Amino acid sequence: MLTADKLRNTYLGPKAAGSNSATVADEERKADVAAGAAMRTLLLVRRVRGFISRDFSLAISYRMDFFMRMLQTVIIVTALFFISHVFRGRVQGSPRQWDDPFAAWITGFALMSYFGCGFSSLANAIRSEQLQGTLENVLMSPIKVPTMIIASTAWEFLQASFFAFFYLFLGWCFFGVQYKGNLLLALIVIVMTALVLQCVGILSASFTLVFKRGDPFGAILATGSFIFSGVLFPTQSLGRTFSVISCALPTTYGLDGVRRVLIQGQGWGQLRGTLTTLTLFLIGLLPFALALFGGALRRAKREGSLVQY
Amino acid sequence: MSATAIANDFTAFEVTDLAGAKAERAAISINNVTKIYPISFQRVRQAIQRKCLHPVEALRGISFDVPQGEIFGLIGPNGAGKTTLTKVIATMVQPTSGTVSVLGYDSVFDEEEVRLQVGLASAEERSFYWRLSVRQNLMFFARLYGMRDREARRRITDLLELFNMGEYERRRFGELSTGNKQRMSVMRALISDPPVLLLDEPTRSLDPVAAATMRSVIRSLVQQDRPVSILLTSHNLSEVEELCSRVAILSGGQIRGLGTPKDLKAIEKPTERVHITMRGLGAEEVELLLLPHLDDLKLTIEGSEIIISFTRLERDDQLDLALGRLHDHGASILAIDFERTTLLDVIRGYQDNREAQNREDSRC
Repeated sequence: MLTADKLRNTYLGPKAAGSNSATVADEERKADVAAGAAMRTLLLVRRVRGFISRDFSLAISYRMDFFMRMLQTVIIVTALFFISHVFRGRVQGSPRQWDDPFAAWITGFALMSYFGCGFSSLANAIRSEQLQGTLENVLMSPIKVPTMIIASTAWEFLQASFFAFFYLFLGWCFFGVQYKGNLLLALIVIVMTALVLQCVGILSASFTLVFKRGDPFGAILATGSFIFSGVLFPTQSLGRTFSVISCALPTTYGLDGVRRVLIQGQGWGQLRGTLTTLTLFLIGLLPFALALFGGALRRAKREGSLVQY
Repeated sequence: MSATAIANDFTAFEVTDLAGAKAERAAISINNVTKIYPISFQRVRQAIQRKCLHPVEALRGISFDVPQGEIFGLIGPNGAGKTTLTKVIATMVQPTSGTVSVLGYDSVFDEEEVRLQVGLASAEERSFYWRLSVRQNLMFFARLYGMRDREARRRITDLLELFNMGEYERRRFGELSTGNKQRMSVMRALISDPPVLLLDEPTRSLDPVAAATMRSVIRSLVQQDRPVSILLTSHNLSEVEELCSRVAILSGGQIRGLGTPKDLKAIEKPTERVHITMRGLGAEEVELLLLPHLDDLKLTIEGSEIIISFTRLERDDQLDLALGRLHDHGASILAIDFERTTLLDVIRGYQDNREAQNREDSRC
């Protein structure tokens, strides 16, 4: 384990390390713990910034890709707008959310691009490092597994956030969609859902570390979520059998929660159930996912297959 | 004493030594490390392929120490286990049994600490981001070590200057020559100024001048105030002889010999081949004079000159005897050359022994 002193020595120099040496032992210990936590946060921020800066530099080295994605979003939103005229007022199920199918679709598409990032960003990042041959060198640095998970997906999440916002912005600015409710609450639901999906993403990444290709978690859940969580049509119209699948998907709750805030204008009290369900998903999945990822990493090291792809 | 005996003695010494005390004084301490690469889903694969699959034993009972401030060489043929051993030290591969500690930190239980202490320069070209510039690549790895931006920028500038790479700092990694990519790898290993360096063929693909510069940089690292301990693997044996104070010869996953380059050469062949170029005597006359006294005598006639070649034990009196007899019979000595045993001969010797052993085993 890194002690606060060692961290200070390594990253801030010996002066900082010796600064509180004369204080009473108890206070020193407390200060040490606080300094250690501060140092760790500082290191985490530096590392996340390092990854974001790297990924941004890589992204702008493919300039056309970004503009093509923006153009694609504009085309999808425009197409959804015109298709929605056909279905307006005809969608059965959850009447308030689907009064205007266009509003329901763009929130659905915006969030699916965001949630898709949770499913696949870590596995993609690991796969990309494996292909580039840099995974070993990244893991050679003194970086902990959770830091690596956060840092290597940070850019993907930033990008996905931008495109999710861009979907919503296009709907509001050019196609007259009105968003109601508390934006902070909507953001909390989005973040909670993204965290749950990140757990699935960690499972995918564990699979990628060991088997390299053919990840079932991401593929099945991403496709399943697109069909069964209410992106394209209300979950109520799925029928009893498929509703069971719908209820098992965290994206269903996330999407429903965001629509209830942004389209129906619901508040904290009405969203309590959604937030509780997402929290339960998170508590159930996170320790399992982290343990599995650690195990997969150890297995890859045992087999010497970190550089293989 | 044979090389194997020396290695065994060394291993025995290591095993009986007190691990704690040793870990304190050694930069790298390797104790009885074995690495067997398991076969994933062995039973399933065996059932599908209908043949017996055996795990690969890459390292077998490896033990040695690298004291602080030493350049330690690791040589051996391809597939000997050099890279596996380097990766075990760098925490990238877990040993099946045995322990590795770096400055007292265990490579399995204190992984993060070990990684803070170690810089690895691999021979793998495909370990950088090809679309990022030299500086961007180094900056990324500096940030992974938690370095502040200002400190990292200064360090990168110093390294670029040290390796004469200043003019390439804005160039994309993919556009660099193979030699410069190799230099980048060493620069990355040095970015956090680690006390222990693992260099995997650091001069591979470098031109002679760049290789000499690299060697001088490596030498300077162990001569600084806070000396760096270096484990160097190389196929360039003259480089190993020039740089390393001790060398381990790895073959078939085992240490076949360990000692100073001079000791190892002496173990394998304490002899040298002497070539005397002379004129003034005929070949028959020379043969009559020297044949009864010298081993493995061979004469080569080149115009009016004769090259006399023979094998002698280092520092024995046969050269003196040959020169005396030639001189007494009126020969003019033009030149004397010595062909001493190289580490290549030592490796060849081990390989020959191993092949003979394998043949013997297969007969059994």
